Amino acid sequence: MEQLPSLPASDEEIVKNTLTDPNQYGLLMERYEAKLKRYVTRLGIRNTDDQLDVLQEIFIKAYRNLNGFDTSLSFSSWIYRIAHNEAISFYRKKNVRPEGHLVGDGDEILGFLASSQEGEEVKFDKVINADEVNRALEHLDEKYREPIILRFFEHKEYDEISDILEIPIGSVGTLLHRGKKQLANVLNKDILRI
Amino acid sequence: MDEQTTVSCKDRVMNRIECEHICPRSKTFFKTRECAVWGLWGLSVVIGALAVAVTLFVVAHRQYALYEATHDNFFTFMVDVLPYLWIIMFALMVGVAVYNLRHTKGGYRYPLWKIFGSSMVLSLAGGTGLHLLGMGYTVDHGLGMMGIYPSEEKKEMRMWQNPDDGRLLGKVSALPLPPEAPGIVTFTDVSGKDWKVDVSDLAPHELDLLANEENVRLIGVMTEGDMLFHSCGAFPWLLDKPVRREDLEAARVAFEDKIHGYEERLEEKMPQLRGFDDEEGETEELKDDDSPCATIAPVKRMRRGEE
Repeated sequence: MEQLPSLPASDEEIVKNTLTDPNQYGLLMERYEAKLKRYVTRLGIRNTDDQLDVLQEIFIKAYRNLNGFDTSLSFSSWIYRIAHNEAISFYRKKNVRPEGHLVGDGDEILGFLASSQEGEEVKFDKVINADEVNRALEHLDEKYREPIILRFFEHKEYDEISDILEIPIGSVGTLLHRGKKQLANVLNKDILRI
Repeated sequence: MDEQTTVSCKDRVMNRIECEHICPRSKTFFKTRECAVWGLWGLSVVIGALAVAVTLFVVAHRQYALYEATHDNFFTFMVDVLPYLWIIMFALMVGVAVYNLRHTKGGYRYPLWKIFGSSMVLSLAGGTGLHLLGMGYTVDHGLGMMGIYPSEEKKEMRMWQNPDDGRLLGKVSALPLPPEAPGIVTFTDVSGKDWKVDVSDLAPHELDLLANEENVRLIGVMTEGDMLFHSCGAFPWLLDKPVRREDLEAARVAFEDKIHGYEERLEEKMPQLRGFDDEEGETEELKDDDSPCATIAPVKRMRRGEE
């Protein structure tokens, strides 16, 4: 009889195992290092050393608080929340502002702008490049920037964004709607016709 | 290059965990923290409820029925009697409750208005319940006894213990009081000072009130030197008793009847007052009248209010 291939352990199972065997934590780090590195970069931490420091702090903090992991959330949302808080702490400690927002490549940006969510219909007259969106994101209000990044560049669902940013789901929708509107205004009006 | 960074980060974290002996915090730590947040929320709701209870107690027991006896008009009366400390305390506690609820594990999922509304409704409902159980008075009175807090009871006492303004609070010290010809009685105010009080203008039910050995509020005027007080009305001291709306309405009717009676006396004297249009003139003229009650401050205030 043919044996079914065993499914990889879920994040939550690894968390449980880590509490008895700390070496298991390495598995979680392998799963999330790249994602979180990209996320903190998108949040504006561009210097490689700073990124490494912040990443380390995220993983150490997550490890220390493993017993406080709320099982009603996904591990992904929980660790993204820690990353979000660490990024804020980093800016506070360094007393600096985010250094621009490297949001992603052209495809991601095109996908985002072409999305017709919340009834926003965005059509293109010309090709838009990543630089323009990055510049527009820099001009976006702080409160709209992170929901936009999480939704359209980290591809998180509303409830996940709610858990990461610790805001009600209704507010996530509002922030995204307003953020998109503001972004459309900020983007060169010659490029976009909404 | 990215691969190298990833590996390096993982190794660094694992090394730090090992070298610095970093361990996950215990479950008890998180449970305790969550309990503390909920506990603080509960405490703020309870304190908020007590603030509401005291506020309701003050609002219910303030003597609206007799406001002309102490204040020029209803507005100044309300400004003076509102328990600002407790209203501020209630607002503060709602704020603390909202903050704590937001900081519970799932608190962020609820919209602010729901958190705010639930904390406020709980405090208001709890406060109403506590007030009905008499906790408003107990808290106010208890804190007042400690001496660090000016209780509403003390404030009300101060308001009524003001003989120069025609108000006296206390009880008759010489009993029994002859009901037919009461004349002048000895009255001990709440500060322990004895007064000679002329009770000839009081109605029989007011004399009964004086006779029952409880604190009584008198309105009147000081005459013939320092220690003779001519009483024009006697009203029960209600702050330490449950007050029903009907009691307050009855008190208002009694007060109005009393004052209108004195007003009529004043009207009867009006022909004598021709040529004296101003209030001072009236007062001067009527000082020679048998009873000075027609010119006491509440009469003037009520006349002004009716005009």
